[in-house]
Amino acid sequence: MSDPDHPSSDVDRNTPAGLAIDVVLFAVGLMMLLPLVFLISNAFKTPPELLAWPPTIIPDRPTLENILGVLHETPLLRWIGNTLIFAGISTASIVSTSAIAGYVLGKFDLPWFPAVFGVIIATSVVPFEVYMIPLYLNVQAAGLLNTLPGLLVGYLVMSFGIFLVRQYVTTSIPDELLEAARVDGAGEGWIFLRIVLPLMRGPLGALAVLAFFQAWTAFAWPLVVTANKDTYTLEVGLALFQTGFTVDIGHLSAAAALALVPSALFFSLMRRNFVRGVAGTGLKE
Amino acid sequence: MRSKPKWLFPVLALLPVLGLYACLRVYPIAETLRLSLFKWNIISRRKPFVGFDNFVELMSDPLFLEAIFNTTIVAFGVLVITIPVGLALAALINSRQGLRRSGFYETSIFLPHVVSLVPAAMAWKWIFDARLGPLNALIGWFGIPAQSWLFDPALSLVCLIVLCSWQSIGYAVLIFLVGLKNVPEALYEAARLDGASSFQAFRYVAIPLLKPVMLYVSVITLISSYNIYAQAFVLASDVQGAPGHLVRVLVLDMLENSFRNYRVGYAAAEAVVLLVIVLVLTGAQFRLFRDRSRA
Amino acid sequence: MAFIATSVGTFGYPTSPEKKRRSWLSAARWLAVAVALPMLASPASAEKLTIWSGWPDLAPFYKRVGDQLKAKYPDLDISVEAIALREHEKRLALSLPSGSAGDVIEMEVEAARYLEASLIPEPPAAIVDFVKANYDMTRVKTAMYDGKIYGVPLFQGQGALFYNTEMFAKAGLNSPPKTMADYTAYAQKLVQRDASGVPTVSGWSLRLSGGGSGIAEKYWTILYNHGGTLLEEKGGKWRAAYANEAGRNALKQYLDNVVAYRTVLPEMKADAEAFELGQTAMFIRESWVIGDVAKKAPNLKYATAPLPKGTLMVPVDLYVPNKGPKSQIAWDFVQKANEPENLLWLLENTAWVPNRKGLDYSAVLGKIPQLGAFVNTPADHVFFTVPAISPASEILTRLAARLEKAFTDKSLAGNDAAIDAFLKSAAEESDKILAREDLLAKP
Repeated sequence: MSDPDHPSSDVDRNTPAGLAIDVVLFAVGLMMLLPLVFLISNAFKTPPELLAWPPTIIPDRPTLENILGVLHETPLLRWIGNTLIFAGISTASIVSTSAIAGYVLGKFDLPWFPAVFGVIIATSVVPFEVYMIPLYLNVQAAGLLNTLPGLLVGYLVMSFGIFLVRQYVTTSIPDELLEAARVDGAGEGWIFLRIVLPLMRGPLGALAVLAFFQAWTAFAWPLVVTANKDTYTLEVGLALFQTGFTVDIGHLSAAAALALVPSALFFSLMRRNFVRGVAGTGLKE
Repeated sequence: MRSKPKWLFPVLALLPVLGLYACLRVYPIAETLRLSLFKWNIISRRKPFVGFDNFVELMSDPLFLEAIFNTTIVAFGVLVITIPVGLALAALINSRQGLRRSGFYETSIFLPHVVSLVPAAMAWKWIFDARLGPLNALIGWFGIPAQSWLFDPALSLVCLIVLCSWQSIGYAVLIFLVGLKNVPEALYEAARLDGASSFQAFRYVAIPLLKPVMLYVSVITLISSYNIYAQAFVLASDVQGAPGHLVRVLVLDMLENSFRNYRVGYAAAEAVVLLVIVLVLTGAQFRLFRDRSRA
Repeated sequence: MAFIATSVGTFGYPTSPEKKRRSWLSAARWLAVAVALPMLASPASAEKLTIWSGWPDLAPFYKRVGDQLKAKYPDLDISVEAIALREHEKRLALSLPSGSAGDVIEMEVEAARYLEASLIPEPPAAIVDFVKANYDMTRVKTAMYDGKIYGVPLFQGQGALFYNTEMFAKAGLNSPPKTMADYTAYAQKLVQRDASGVPTVSGWSLRLSGGGSGIAEKYWTILYNHGGTLLEEKGGKWRAAYANEAGRNALKQYLDNVVAYRTVLPEMKADAEAFELGQTAMFIRESWVIGDVAKKAPNLKYATAPLPKGTLMVPVDLYVPNKGPKSQIAWDFVQKANEPENLLWLLENTAWVPNRKGLDYSAVLGKIPQLGAFVNTPADHVFFTVPAISPASEILTRLAARLEKAFTDKSLAGNDAAIDAFLKSAAEESDKILAREDLLAKP
């Protein structure tokens, strides 16, 4: 391994060592992106070029045929829409439940609160796949298969979110602030909405990004809950699409590339907030 | 007017969340434990209590054992790659913090973690393709004969590990970066004054302080890799007229037992085994990291 | 809370069947109403008919039938959802018990378990009469339970040999193999290797890998042509029947080809994909390959031939799983699909062999001679099916997992005792599953 520079140096950044690090990181970054680049490039290749050896990175004669074909063959846009709605509601639910529960558990000390917090954290260790089947039977019993609520059932709360908010609240929101408001006669609800919530914008923003992508990439649960082409999420629709068509790498890549764009775009836009949000949550403890 | 009791707000505020937890987490977990003791078939009417029979059968079920074996290999493979590589990358990025290009580093490394799973797996499926994939083109360049990555039982596990590590490294880097930023500058200064090289400063100042973060990242990585399913589903499943080599992982075996063989009780028993594995590993990691930090 | 008490699932729980389980989730139903998003809420209107198929290549066929039905129902909206077979089977298992399946569904032998659990309603009398009048009753067996007809046969999958005529000519072979011994001898002549002896074009593409039960089904066909069978029936119960000489010979044939002569290797492209890419000289598959080749490799020169003794037959039947106003439209759809003109279109365009009696194939055969091996099988050719018992797919899947390892196991090659031990232990596992479901016949 190359010798890492001093972890947070503010001396001249363009030393040979520093530039060597740049080269390494740049190469790693490209390698991480390469599979996605291949995918997008395949989406624009003609069938003969897809079978060419060795494979090319930039299409010789780019074509839109794959993409148009996919849009014609599958309700890809609808799947994207379904997933956006599902992920949006899931995010809203996770952010609000985490905000209120994290705040209450962090700033009030009823004797049984530590036990409650313990249970919440304990359930986060249990993989979702463990209790997916009983949850499925319940959704089925309630007649919610193939519906948005059925899909949401698995994604309404997130233990990590509660943990994150509680952590932030205890380390970064001084008790004196809340007491001062109480002395001024403010109600608890008002304090939460008007004082605490605005202060939590950072961690909640980060949580929102996490929650969104958790729902966006959900697979096992949507796969069993949705059984209808119109209700599939993007991941499920694509996965089933790929088992049905074999040799057509062009179409598959086109579908996959179209599916990638929204999430990649969203993340690139949110990256700064996200990193800052996670950083400000006192995860250090 | 009597003022409202002090506990009223927190209890009322917490109740809906607790209700959700009870219904969506605690109850199904308890139900899984219960179902695992029954011969519970989706479409048959008789669902007798069978005690630990399901577990006894699991212990000699070759498919289940294969699934446990594969999943464990993948989970530890991912862990062994993700933690050191993630830490090294985080340290490197941290040293370039504040430069414009560090944004590119962060984005490119984190992007695989958030892009849709299935398209990403499809991309890798093509990369690993024995006949058309760039990986064989690359190794052919070095004179290594083409490998059938996705068909060889051992190599297909390697492929899964590569794919899952590619996805999990970004998250590890992010959390490590947060941890590194929280290391007080003064500590590095002190180490440097004592004549430590920057690598030594990193090794002896930052790493010990990062232990809780490492614990967190390794627990998350291990748990999530014990649950891989979509990756195996896409990377290693077959399509009509083009069979593939199926990598049996735990969740896949569970879903197959419950929704193909209709044996929900049996699948629940598998889920319980998965739960025990995850709990034991998490406990072991806690102990490991605590002992080390005391030493 | 009345609405909670009323919505009880299809399944009671074993411990307290008399006490109906309260489902907290029914509260979420109200949420469903409240959210009322047009995207995911399934419209309850009568004019949308959903067809569930396990064969993506059939989508155009069902669309065509749907278009014809519009003459009778102008407002009808047909949604054809054809996905891969394994996923199709899973969605049936998930949705049939809760009554949320499509309006017309395809089912194969697994229909038995749903019929047994009374999850499929009986069709109207007119449909029963239609089936009785137009189908050979031996082919309707899988759509029957307890003497009653529940579904309408549509088409069937049956295996035959596909061979590349150019590769045959180059190897000096001018007729297809006739006996199982021929198959291995042919494969040795047909295999093409690179300079270092590694096969590049397989002589005979055997099914050596893949998920689910496919490996075991293919083994069954080869086993049958060696004079054996996988499961045998005795008085309504079943027993593994492959731990014997025929079973050994069948497994030996795989080992000969993979380990001894290396005419095919697991990592080579296989099946239809290999055939279309010119990477195998011959393989055994159902007739849909003809349609697939026409689409993906139209210039391929090939012919087909029946297998020596018989083949596994997979009948695909159509069912209407939901009662209600739409069921009449759904049955109309099923009947429309079975009109001779549509069935001949199906044969010509997808190469699936229809089940209906008395169809005139001559015009289609003139255009696609390769269909001959499927449509005009010799009189003594035997069609056998996977038994219609619920653990069948589990038995096959577990056997498949064992076979996949055995095919490449060098310690089995040339060692009859080891092969016998392998088959014995696999058969014990099959019998154990049968015993668990109380379906094991006495030896």
